[in-house]
Amino acid sequence: MAKTLKPTRNDKCTGCEMCVFESQRQLKKIGLEESLIRVFRGKNENTNTVTFDIEIDPRSSVLDTEKIATVCPREVLEVVEQ
Amino acid sequence: MTDTSVKKVVIVDLENKISETKSFTDLNPYFGGTGVGLKLLEIYHDKNPLIFSVGPLNGFFPFASKTSVVLDNNGAIEDIYIGGNLSTRIRFAGIDSILFHGRSADETIIELQNTDVLFHAKDTDIQSLGLPGKRSHMYINKDKLQADGYFTTPDLYLENALLDRNIVGLSITGTETYTVDNFEDYKKLYENIMEMSDDLRVIKEGYPSCSNCPMGCNRSKVGEIGGNVVINSLVACQFADRIYTDIGMVFSCLNTLGYNYTHEDIENLPKLIEETIKKISEL
Repeated sequence: MAKTLKPTRNDKCTGCEMCVFESQRQLKKIGLEESLIRVFRGKNENTNTVTFDIEIDPRSSVLDTEKIATVCPREVLEVVEQ
Repeated sequence: MTDTSVKKVVIVDLENKISETKSFTDLNPYFGGTGVGLKLLEIYHDKNPLIFSVGPLNGFFPFASKTSVVLDNNGAIEDIYIGGNLSTRIRFAGIDSILFHGRSADETIIELQNTDVLFHAKDTDIQSLGLPGKRSHMYINKDKLQADGYFTTPDLYLENALLDRNIVGLSITGTETYTVDNFEDYKKLYENIMEMSDDLRVIKEGYPSCSNCPMGCNRSKVGEIGGNVVINSLVACQFADRIYTDIGMVFSCLNTLGYNYTHEDIENLPKLIEETIKKISEL
């Protein structure tokens, strides 16, 4: 079974984008364009705090997903079997 | 590859609402950040510029996550450092510095999409500008700057400089991607630096983090003012000074990215900056 990344703890994300940069490095790229992981910044209107949403392209399963999950300092990402 | 031979500067004329992108071939001795900002301040001194700059490591290496702002505050030169996503967005816009001069006739929000500059009315919803996930926003909220909905500055120098020029918001989107010749060496060096995170003078916490820094510390929110010129020219975080004041480490990072700096160039930077500040004070 293919292993994919899943953001299971979005609420813990600090928006550091380490996962984005790691996924890009695995593709020998530095930058944000065409990244298979994207982090979107939002706002919780009730608490007036910054929120983060992580979008993961299913094609990221070709990457070293374990390594991407490991670079997250807040254990937001989990590797799951599809 | 990055073009390591030039410093690319977007020059925004607020009065005439026009912009141009200039490539400077003689700014490399200043590295970037505050070094380049000060030299641009000298060159454009008669225009009272406001200069945002990143350094050669921003976007490429961890803990090099700040943006330098240099301005002349009624004869006193101020250097301010802002956290958040701004430094990576400027880097991925393919530019080293953004220089504003003049004053907009009306309050304006400025949008950069790489080197393209657009001027928007003050009531434009800043959230509608730029590309989500690839942008950084800053705006003045009740006279205080807020970057990426969280980060701010330690004082009011930048806020006053923006308001004096009638800039109430800034949106920057960067869509350039880079590679380096020896990618494996680059990756190894990146990972070596990550392993040095215990050398940082902050601990890992859960606050909103600067882009390309995993620390999420509580110190990054208010930015920095002044400090070590090598750190400020790179533009690294002052809490990563044990990593980025190591000349051997800085040399390795620059060398991996294709820069032809020598150890002596790094050692001479403080003197060069001192001379530039002296020249500005004599203008």
